[in-house]
Amino acid sequence: MSESDVDADVDNSTALPVDDASELVGRVSDNVAEVIVGHSDAIEHILVTVLARGHLLLEDVPGVGKTMLARSIARSVDCEFKRVQFTPDLLPADVTGTNVFDQKSQEFEFRPGPVFANVVLGDEINRAPPKTQSALLEAMEEQQVTVDGDTRDLRDPFTVIATQNDVEPGRTYELPMAEIDRFMKKLRLGYPDADDETVMLERTAGRHPIESLEPVATTGDLRDARATVADVEASEPIREYVTELANYTREHAQLGVSPRGSIALVRAAQARAVVDGRGYVIPDDVQTEARTVFPHRIRPRTGSETGLDVTEDALNSVPVE
Amino acid sequence: MSGGTKGLNSLTSSDGSRAPSGTVGPGSSTADEASGLLAALWTPPTAGVAVTAVAFLSVFYHVTDVVGGATFLLMEVAVVAGLGLAAAGQLRERTAVVVTLVGFAVALTAYFFSVPESQRALFTIGRVGQDLLALASGLSVLRLVNAGTWAVSLAPIPTFIVVYLTARNRHVWAVSIAAATTGFFVLTGDAGPGVALTGAVGGAITLGLVGLSGAGLRGLEAQWDTLAVIVAAMIVVTSLLTVVPGSAQSPVVPGGQSPSVESSLVSNTERVSVLGSISLSPKVRFTVESNQPAYWRVGSYDRYTGGGWVRTGESQPYDGSVRSPPGETVELRQQYEMRAEFDAIPAAWKPVSIRGSPSGITQVTSNGGFTPRTALQENESYTVVSQRPQYTTGELRRAGTDYPGAVRQRYTQLPESTPDRVSERTQRVIAEADASTPYDAAVAIEQYLESTKEYSLDVPNPSGNIADTFLFEMDEGYCTYYATTMVTMLRSQGIPARFVTGYTTGQRVGPEQYVVRGLDSHAWVEVYFPDVGWVRFDPTPAAARSDAEQTAIDEARESGTVNVDAAGSEDGVYTTPPPTFGETAAAGNATGGDPDRVGQLASPGAALGPNVTAEGNPFRDGLGATATVEGGGGGGGGGGDGENDGGGLPSRSDTVLGVAALIGLAAGARRTGLTRRGYRFVWLVYQPTGEEPTETAERAYRRLEYLAGRRYRERATGETPRQYVAALQRRGLTAEATAVAETFERAHYGTGVDETEAAAAVETVDELVREGLPVVGRLT
Repeated sequence: MSESDVDADVDNSTALPVDDASELVGRVSDNVAEVIVGHSDAIEHILVTVLARGHLLLEDVPGVGKTMLARSIARSVDCEFKRVQFTPDLLPADVTGTNVFDQKSQEFEFRPGPVFANVVLGDEINRAPPKTQSALLEAMEEQQVTVDGDTRDLRDPFTVIATQNDVEPGRTYELPMAEIDRFMKKLRLGYPDADDETVMLERTAGRHPIESLEPVATTGDLRDARATVADVEASEPIREYVTELANYTREHAQLGVSPRGSIALVRAAQARAVVDGRGYVIPDDVQTEARTVFPHRIRPRTGSETGLDVTEDALNSVPVE
Repeated sequence: MSGGTKGLNSLTSSDGSRAPSGTVGPGSSTADEASGLLAALWTPPTAGVAVTAVAFLSVFYHVTDVVGGATFLLMEVAVVAGLGLAAAGQLRERTAVVVTLVGFAVALTAYFFSVPESQRALFTIGRVGQDLLALASGLSVLRLVNAGTWAVSLAPIPTFIVVYLTARNRHVWAVSIAAATTGFFVLTGDAGPGVALTGAVGGAITLGLVGLSGAGLRGLEAQWDTLAVIVAAMIVVTSLLTVVPGSAQSPVVPGGQSPSVESSLVSNTERVSVLGSISLSPKVRFTVESNQPAYWRVGSYDRYTGGGWVRTGESQPYDGSVRSPPGETVELRQQYEMRAEFDAIPAAWKPVSIRGSPSGITQVTSNGGFTPRTALQENESYTVVSQRPQYTTGELRRAGTDYPGAVRQRYTQLPESTPDRVSERTQRVIAEADASTPYDAAVAIEQYLESTKEYSLDVPNPSGNIADTFLFEMDEGYCTYYATTMVTMLRSQGIPARFVTGYTTGQRVGPEQYVVRGLDSHAWVEVYFPDVGWVRFDPTPAAARSDAEQTAIDEARESGTVNVDAAGSEDGVYTTPPPTFGETAAAGNATGGDPDRVGQLASPGAALGPNVTAEGNPFRDGLGATATVEGGGGGGGGGGDGENDGGGLPSRSDTVLGVAALIGLAAGARRTGLTRRGYRFVWLVYQPTGEEPTETAERAYRRLEYLAGRRYRERATGETPRQYVAALQRRGLTAEATAVAETFERAHYGTGVDETEAAAAVETVDELVREGLPVVGRLT
């Protein structure tokens, strides 16, 4: 991976034709599937998130292959991958990087933190104190970090895949709603089914396949595909539909979907359209994406309800025009 | 305020703020209470109650208007309404009901004692029960001898309770009672379609508004069309269906076939209504063998309602013979043979005995005529002996005005609402003719009507007082108008007269044989002369009428209608009548043309001077039948009116009906989505070309969706077009539908489609529509 690639200006990217972008996604997806058994939906969701310039929150039990999944995707598109294990004593500088005084040059030299990568896996983000969490979240939102007054741009593409561990809630700092809102999607991988797990065990018995995984695309391709996504048509009926869905959640939950959530849904739907090889969003895209974009932004009225329930209600109640 | 108010307070507190607390003085609080009650009256459903109340009060008013006491009734109703309003704040509901029932009993008792002693003997339990049944089966209240007393006694009862209940917000109960009262009059036939309709509409409005007010203004907005449909349906249905007895005179379908003169006149009911346009039936009704020609009389009517005629009093069974008229008489022996089922017993005035099969069912009306209890059958025959009064003009002139009290009271009645100008015009007519006796006055009026009005069967539906309308606003009419007007004019001068229906002599086919057709049905006038009895006058111009009748016969013969001729009538008349009227009159004289009245007048007729024309009229009556075959001398006038072709402007009621029907249909179509469905159908089967490709593609998909919605199911809320089509393909929808859906997606959500794609989508949908035409056929 050349330095110029990493720092390439976004403006240099030229939108791929939709079919090429779709084919690219398919290629990456197939490549990742060589390593990750099952979870093809999750692979697609992650790719959609990447294409839509979003970030992903994975809530799961440990050991279901979150890291492997993120790494596989990063490797398939020839991206730089970093992993940060969040712990209670992790400091913001451990994430963003720090200025170190170089004795030789008598200068402060910036040592980039793990956030300076294309794909950053923030493992068990809810174990770190809020201050550290917010350092990462700020980087997610701004696409840049400020260390000692110097603002530095992050890589492009830049995608954070954060995981949350809900196994030991007593020893965690739960993410505030405002910060959860910054993740485009929240996914739950879940355990692979028995067959998939058997296949997985067979594959990993010898050398782990990730070692032999070859990139099938470049970050440049990825940027071009992202440009394609940005150009996807989201027509007025679609925008109205998204607005209606968001309004529905606001009327039927204690806390509904924020405008940021609506924006995220449109973007995700655009990416989904590209994945399906379409240059325009159809309501089906919106419906598919709403199930992962909306629920974590909703605080239902009753404890027996989940955000997904409210989302499903919205999808069933808002007419498609 | 009495102690009883406490009960009221507890009772009314739920109704609102009307209940004053504790014991308050009668002064200011009563005023507050009154204003509170008035406020309670000012609610939307009250309008409906008011409409229904107006319906039944109008009947009471009409009754008193006809027989006298209208002003008193109005004042009485106003006072009672005030009492009801006051009582609403004072009486408990149970008490009010008791008061009403007691009032009802008192009113009936009062009516009972107002009936003359002689008739009171007839009041037995069974008799009263029969009367009630009779009333409920179309016996007009106006037939009661003391209809005025009846109305004045009973009108306050429903008025009181309706006002009381309305003031207490019991709108549904109030309107129920008002509607029941109106319904009673519908059964008696006193409430015409208009009144019945008003009552029903008021009821519907009340119930509708009471129901809707629960939902507030929004409910009203959402449901106004339902209410409109109901009300319009009531208006239209009530106008079209006249299942209630006594209203058979109303046209079954307005604007359709006109009723015949005959059915409007000679159905032997106790009432006659004056209709608009009517037609003539050329069919033979009966044949008569009589030693002298006469008018074959069916019934007479004494009470004028302004819109028609009612015969008051009860008919008595025929017991072998009837009294002869007071003066000199000549005997007429007539043998009738029925050629159709017939609900009357025609007989020359004045019948004294009847023999033959119908004698067992014969009844004698209070006016002295015969009427059958049940209809006579075809081919039934009977013989009637009549004693016709014999008189001369001189005798009639000398008869004076010393009328018996009963005759004067019964036969000079006019509705109070009869305009004064009728009387004024009559006085002028009489003065101009220099008539000093009732006889001369009658002749003058007869002549006046004959000379100033044209004969026509095609006239607008009358409204208001027939006589007044005919006299001042119409230029043409037929016998009913002429006779009604003449009776009214005579009565306005205190001369007893009555309205008579029956048949003219008919076509003479043998020395003593006459064929009488439906179109010979007629209405004329009888005037009472002391010591002579009832004398016939006919104000209808006979020549024009004959023309109309002859035209109808000729047309019927040409079109091959059955039963137009009988007893050789097709061979023409027995005697050859002169072609002109003057000669007709002469011939009438020579042959004793109309001995009924003018036979006696004929010889002195020469001395009558200008009255000859008037007197000549009966000749024409007598010869009417003969004239018919010859086509009459007048030629053409009004002949074409025999069949009403419904030309001209629609009448006011037709217009109202039409508007109501239109509103109802529009609201109904909107409510049921009929307009939408009709539009949908056209929209579905026909897609015009030339739109933007994008619109074309979208419409193609909408059609597909509509079609599939009919055939399978509609697209669910939240279901995308793609999901919908995919789901239906599992149920058999053609795979081509997917392409239509995709074209739609591109057109609707995407960047648009080109014409080829749009055309392909349209093609696919057109094909689907064609395949599904049986399905499409079911849509509507």
